[in-house]
Amino acid sequence: MNPLAQPIIYTTMITGTLITTLSSHWFLAWVGLEMNMLAFIPILMKKTNPRSTEAAIKYFLMQSTASMVLMMAIISNNLLSGCWTTTSYINQPPSLMMMTALAMKLGMAPFHFWVPEVTQGTPLTSGLLLLTWQKLAPISIMYQIHPSINIHILLTLSTLSTAMGSWGGLNQTQLRKILGYSSITHMGWMMMTLVYNPMTTIFYLTIYIILTTTMFLTLNLSSSTTTLMLSRTWNKSTHLAPLMAPILMSLGGLPPLTGFLPKWIIIQELTMNNSFLIPSIMTIMTLLNLYFYMRLIYTTSLTLFPTSNNTKMTWQLENTKPMPLIPPLIITSTLLLPISPLLLTFH
Amino acid sequence: MAYILFTLSVLLVMGFVGFSSKPSPIYGGLALIISGVVGCVIVLNCGGVYMGLMMFLVYLGGMMVVFGYTTAMAIEEYPETWGSGLEVLGGLLVGLMMEVMLVLWVLSLDEAVVVVVGFSDTGDWVIFEGEGSGLIRGDSIGAGALYDYGRWLVVVAGWTLFVGVYVVIEIVRGN
Repeated sequence: MNPLAQPIIYTTMITGTLITTLSSHWFLAWVGLEMNMLAFIPILMKKTNPRSTEAAIKYFLMQSTASMVLMMAIISNNLLSGCWTTTSYINQPPSLMMMTALAMKLGMAPFHFWVPEVTQGTPLTSGLLLLTWQKLAPISIMYQIHPSINIHILLTLSTLSTAMGSWGGLNQTQLRKILGYSSITHMGWMMMTLVYNPMTTIFYLTIYIILTTTMFLTLNLSSSTTTLMLSRTWNKSTHLAPLMAPILMSLGGLPPLTGFLPKWIIIQELTMNNSFLIPSIMTIMTLLNLYFYMRLIYTTSLTLFPTSNNTKMTWQLENTKPMPLIPPLIITSTLLLPISPLLLTFH
Repeated sequence: MAYILFTLSVLLVMGFVGFSSKPSPIYGGLALIISGVVGCVIVLNCGGVYMGLMMFLVYLGGMMVVFGYTTAMAIEEYPETWGSGLEVLGGLLVGLMMEVMLVLWVLSLDEAVVVVVGFSDTGDWVIFEGEGSGLIRGDSIGAGALYDYGRWLVVVAGWTLFVGVYVVIEIVRGN
C-alpha cells in the first residue's frame, strides 16, 4: 500500500471500531462497523495477488451480509419498541437476528467458513489485525445486548464453534489456517459465558488477543506460513524455537500457563450456574486444538527435519529483523497465572 | 384511492424484481429508475413532500445519471436483457409470480392491507410544536437539524463516503 494512503486507512479502521464501542445509538454503532469493514479491505489486499483479492471479496461479502441483517434487526427493534439506544432491552426476534449477524461477523459456527480462507489469503500482519482488532467492535455490541440474548441458541453456537474449530484444524499444515480455526474455537469459548457473566467474555478476549498477537508476531519474525517453514526456526532464530512451545501450549489452555486462566474462569461460571455437560463437552473438544498445537511444537523444537548439510551451519548469527514487542508478549502470554487474583477483580 | 399506498408498494417490489433478476447494468439501471420513481411517490404519499422531491433531485437526478454514464462507458456488445436468456427470464417470472401470490393472499385477509404496516392510516410528517405557527414539517426541519443536532453524523457520513472512494482507488491501483 502506498505509504501516503496508510494513515487514512488505518485511522478509519480504528475510528470505526471506536465509534461502534462508544456509541449509544444503534445507527452509529452500525455506521462504525461499516467504516471498519470498508477501511479493512485494502489492508487485506496489501500484497496484490489473486489470492488476496479472493480473500478480500469473501470478507466483504460475509461482513456486508451480516451488516444488512444487523440493520434489519435494528429497524425491527425500533418498530417493536421505539428504542434507538443500545443499552435497552431488545425484543426477542430482533435479538435473534442481531446475534446471527454478530456471529457472522465474528466467525462463529455455522458461519465460520470464511475465517480460515480469508486468514490464509492475506499477509501475516493483516491476518493478525483480522483475528484481533476486528473482533473488538462486534463483541462490544454483544456485551451491550447480553441481557436479551437467547441462552439456548448462543450456547448452541458456542458449542458448535468449539467443535468446528477443533475438528477443522486437525488436517492443516498452513499456519494461518490453523490460527483461523483456533480463532473459531476461542470465539466459541468466549460466547459461552456472555449471558452468565459478560466480564469473563471481555477477560477471555483480552487474554486471547495477547496470545494471538504473540503467535502472529513470532511467526512474522521468520515469515513462516507453513509447518515446513516453521521447522526451520531452529536454524533461523534459535532462541525462538523452544519459546514457541509455551506460547502454543498457552494458546491450547494448558494449566500452569496464562491460557488456562480464562478457560478456568468460564468453566467456573458455568458450573456455578448448574451446567456441567456443556463445559465438559467444550473442554474435550478443545483438546483437539491442543493436539495440533502440539504437532507444531513437535516440528519446531522436538525434531529436526532432514535438511541438506549446508543449513546445519548458521553463518549469520545476528538477527537483523527487529522484534516488535515479542519478549514482553511472550512473558505475558505464559506467566500471568500466579497473579490471577489481581486480574480477576470482577469476581 | 385508499389502496394507493399498497399499489405503489407492489409496483416497487416488481421494479426491484426487475433488477434483481440480474440483467446487464444498463437494464438494471432502467429498473432502478422506475423503482426509484415509485419509491419517491410512496414517500410523497406518506406526507414527506420535501423528502420525496429531494430524493428525485439527488438520487435520480444526480446519482442515477452518473451511474448511467459509467455503465454506458462499460457497455458490452450484446448486453443481457430480460428476454435474452432463460436465467434472467426465469428469475423475473418467479419473482413476479411470488409477488402476485402475495398480493392475492393479502387481499383475501379480513382486514385487508394491514400486514406489516398499516397502509391506510399512515400519519403525516407534521409536528405540532414550536413557537409562532405551532406547526413544523418534520422532513424539511430534519434536513436543517442534520447540520445542527446531527453535525457529528454528517462528519462521520462524509468521512465514510470519502474513505469509500479512497478504498476503491487503493484496491484498483494494484501495485
